[in-house]
Amino acid sequence: MDNMQPIPNQSETTPFPEGEALKNQIQWRHRQGLAWRLLFIAALLIAISSLIALLYNILNDSFGYVVVINKVDPQRLALDVVEEQILNTANTVSSEDDFELANGIANDSNGIGFFGIAYYQENNETLKLLAVDGVMPNAETAASGEYPFTRPLYLYTADAVLQNNQAANIFLNYLLNNVNSEIETVGYFPATSAAYAAAQQRWLSANPGLGLQSGQWVSIEPDGMAGTIRVVGSSTVFPLTQHMLEQYQEAGFAGNFGNESVGSSAGLAAFCSGQADFAASSRPIQSGEIEACRNNGRFPLEFQIGTDALAIVVNNQNSALNEVSTEQLQQIFTTATTWNEVNEAWPAQAIQRYIPGADSGTLDFFAEAVYQTSLASLPKDDLVRLLATNISTGRGRALEREQRFYESALVFEDPATWNEVCAAPAGERPSGCIAEPRTQEEVYDLLLAEVIQPDVVKVYNLQNSLLNRTAIATEAAALYPNGEITFRSWLSADFITDPQSSTPEFAGVRTAIFGSLWVIFITILFSFPIGVGAAIYLEEYAADNRLNRILQTNINNLAGVPSIIYGMLGLAIFVRVLEQLTSGAIFGAVESTASANGRTIISAGLTLGLLILPLIIINAQEALRAVPNSLRQAGLALGATQWQTIWYHVLPSALPGILTGTILAVSRAIGETAPLVVVGASTFITVDPSGPFSKFTTLPIQIYQWTSRPQAEFRNIAAAAIIVLLAMLLSLNASAIILRNRYSTRSI
Amino acid sequence: MATKNPATPLMGAETNMNDLTKRPRIGESFIQGFLFLCGILSIFTTLGIVYILTTESLAFFTRQQWENTNKPIVADITPEETVLVVGDAGASLIEEDIVRLGEEVMVVQSIAENTITVLRGQQDTIAVSHTAGLQLFRSNTVTLSETITTTKWIPQLGLFGIWPLLLATLMTSLIAMLVALPLGLASAIYLSEYASEKVRSMLKPILEVLAGIPTVVFGYFALTFMTPLLRSIFGEGRVEIFNTASAGIVVGILIIPLVSSMSEDALHAVPRALREAAYGLGATKLETSLKIVLPAALSGITAAFVVAISRAIGETMVVAIAAGAGPKNFELGKDSITGFVLNPFLAAETMTGHIVRISGGDISYDSIDYNSLFSIGLLLFSMTLVLNIAARYFVSRYREVYE
Repeated sequence: MDNMQPIPNQSETTPFPEGEALKNQIQWRHRQGLAWRLLFIAALLIAISSLIALLYNILNDSFGYVVVINKVDPQRLALDVVEEQILNTANTVSSEDDFELANGIANDSNGIGFFGIAYYQENNETLKLLAVDGVMPNAETAASGEYPFTRPLYLYTADAVLQNNQAANIFLNYLLNNVNSEIETVGYFPATSAAYAAAQQRWLSANPGLGLQSGQWVSIEPDGMAGTIRVVGSSTVFPLTQHMLEQYQEAGFAGNFGNESVGSSAGLAAFCSGQADFAASSRPIQSGEIEACRNNGRFPLEFQIGTDALAIVVNNQNSALNEVSTEQLQQIFTTATTWNEVNEAWPAQAIQRYIPGADSGTLDFFAEAVYQTSLASLPKDDLVRLLATNISTGRGRALEREQRFYESALVFEDPATWNEVCAAPAGERPSGCIAEPRTQEEVYDLLLAEVIQPDVVKVYNLQNSLLNRTAIATEAAALYPNGEITFRSWLSADFITDPQSSTPEFAGVRTAIFGSLWVIFITILFSFPIGVGAAIYLEEYAADNRLNRILQTNINNLAGVPSIIYGMLGLAIFVRVLEQLTSGAIFGAVESTASANGRTIISAGLTLGLLILPLIIINAQEALRAVPNSLRQAGLALGATQWQTIWYHVLPSALPGILTGTILAVSRAIGETAPLVVVGASTFITVDPSGPFSKFTTLPIQIYQWTSRPQAEFRNIAAAAIIVLLAMLLSLNASAIILRNRYSTRSI
Repeated sequence: MATKNPATPLMGAETNMNDLTKRPRIGESFIQGFLFLCGILSIFTTLGIVYILTTESLAFFTRQQWENTNKPIVADITPEETVLVVGDAGASLIEEDIVRLGEEVMVVQSIAENTITVLRGQQDTIAVSHTAGLQLFRSNTVTLSETITTTKWIPQLGLFGIWPLLLATLMTSLIAMLVALPLGLASAIYLSEYASEKVRSMLKPILEVLAGIPTVVFGYFALTFMTPLLRSIFGEGRVEIFNTASAGIVVGILIIPLVSSMSEDALHAVPRALREAAYGLGATKLETSLKIVLPAALSGITAAFVVAISRAIGETMVVAIAAGAGPKNFELGKDSITGFVLNPFLAAETMTGHIVRISGGDISYDSIDYNSLFSIGLLLFSMTLVLNIAARYFVSRYREVYE
């Protein structure tokens, strides 16, 4: 701005505006200032929001719904145990034919049993129906669900059957048309209207040729229809299907039908293998059975045709019993031998039990409803027995050698072989010889891993799991009909205490946590004394000469060297050149089985030690510099030598600063990944490190490896491991703050 | 220094107490010596780094790789003969070529039709007799010009052109700078010039938390958050699962705290008087910040930028996880520059990413792959060293002015 010209025409050329223009200019400048200020704030907010996004992302992946497909249903295993107990109780008669049971109880004044209520209705002169928990089974209590043992009755068929066998197809139409008016005569109760409508809809979808819309219904007359219909299955459903088939014949069906009562399981098996058109079942089809059906090209369709209230009946002459509770039922069918053991008011006579057989859906239902056992709560003996029946003896032996099941008994191993194996010298002896026997929880975990083998087939993130719960449920049901949807926290106690595993469902970070702790221990041991020593030298002793200036510059430059370069230094020096030392060979510490070469904890620790050494030195130097000079002078003036001054005066007052700086440097080392990958962290180890010469893995390495895997579940465990790592760092930093506060208050 | 009789003065002729010269203290000398060794260790670290990187790089450039010429000798030879009769097949040899027959190394001296004259038993090998039909291997070494001028890095084929790796590093660093510099500097200006003490003490720790998060976590963040975000914005067809853009942006985020805290320090070091003078002249806060304080702190801010670049170049885990697992080899003139070579949405392996991937696998220490990693390391080390020295120079400039 050239203002040297004398008195120019002010209104035209002056660079200084006036009046309105000045006001505008000031306003504009302020608006500009505001805009930029907002820009600055926005920049900071972006930085902060990326931190939030990062944390949110981790949480999002650590928790959420998962769809799990079990190879074996754990509930099934638990029921097997209970059913075995019930069936093996003394004075128990079991049969797949409910008529036999009804007759048995009718002829035995101490008899008790359970079956579909239709069988009671047929024999109600000789049998007595018991109320359960104060509720009698009837149409009302069954419909409202008040009676505890209410269950749906199903007919299963497949698209292929309905298309190829018109007799069966029309029978189903006839059945769905008339079952509600006929069911009372058999003794069962109608299905809920929703289930009934769903069944009709399913039939319509299987018959697209009719061109009907959903909600519409057609009843087809079976007049003159020929063909064969085969129904196999539950003895409970049998009276109903039999009645409906007879009605169907009366209505004009000209063909033949077969109806067999063999139990739900056997019926479904026969249906799935193509030996029947319909399977009658008193329980829903299981995932394994769906699988078996699909393998035979049959995709089961479910039709609920009625509702049963499981009848608990005794002989008509049994005057003592009118009602039972669920707990009493548990005792009656397993532990109790006489009536008065259950209830003192009841007679002191032996209980005679009449129950459906192992193939029956009724027994499954009873066991599930009355005993309500879960696999996890079963005693250890039962779990071991389940394991023994479900895995090969070879695998069992291997597991037993790893860790025994019982202190004094062997499950899989032959005692002679066991003694022979355990007589081997210490290094070759299997760990099972000395380790404590497995606990109930450990056996349960083993059962999960070996038998049930849950496979996570789909994961949902936390946000979706919280907001779209219903959508997830429907999608999962559609995509994985035999999958089970549960909310899973990938970060769990098991995750922290389990060693690494190749299946993400069972993987844990214990090995990695121990590895991290060991490496950091070596790092601190190496770099803290040396770092502080170097700082003392540079701050207290070093004269301002060329060598010391080079030292200082060098340290500053080292702090800026990328960490991966330190990894290469560690690889070349510690792993290769000093292999004899770092592998422990020089100390005779090498185990014959674990040949880690130089890729050991000590190599990793020393590498990280070199890496954080400059940081520790610089931080310690700053702390020393902050100590007032008067302190040193006072010490020296009293006749203390230089070292005495440093040791007794300078160091104590610089200690909080030194510790804080060291802890910050150590937290950097804990999070380092690249140098350890280069030095040679193990990619897969399940054994905890036992000393400085062991192979190792660390938490960040684990996170890196899991993140690099393509399967989604590995991302989830990587996220969980990140939470563990961040928690570790957080606690370390918190301890730095506490330490600093403690020391600084003390020194004042 | 206790005296038996307090009445006696400290200076007594017999006790020699008046001798105030420094007495040798062996213990303290040891301590001082130890402390000095601690200090000198850092020099050894640097020397170690330089020594390892250069020797291994030298090994990389001198290591003989034997390439089969498919050229057999057609007559048996004794240890003394120096003329080999060779077949027509295979690659042709030239003088001075180093060849190997079985275990024995020879140097080609002259070549005639179907015969070559060689020096036997070179490179500490012993001349032995060979039978007809044995094929000649020719020695091949990687040359420096080859690494600089070629554009393919395929160790299995003996191709070591540094450009794919170097370009990927430069690209991720550039993207990181585009993110970190504006955001970091703007945050620094806000924190230093605008924010009240209360706001500052609230926001600054958050940036420090960001700085304290391990880089592998940022790698996870890049892969599971940034990449899906980019893919949803630009289309899954255009953005590969592994890409330099996502890695670069996250490296940028990771560096923001560094840029912001170093810049803030520089801005803070500008004397208050400068600001007050500007206000006195009627400048607004923005004008003071941008036109007075910022130029005054320029050397410090430049130092922050340079350190940030060095950090971005050396950053490993984010690019190892998110940028790609394989060098993006290209051919000049054939591959489109913007569509392929410099396309940030494609996967590319950086120098650091390559080192981590190769050394994480089962690598033999006696292989050209192993040596090649150290030559990459040497390049990386030199780049960051130059940048760090530059940064130090800039820092010392603003220190001189204001302190």
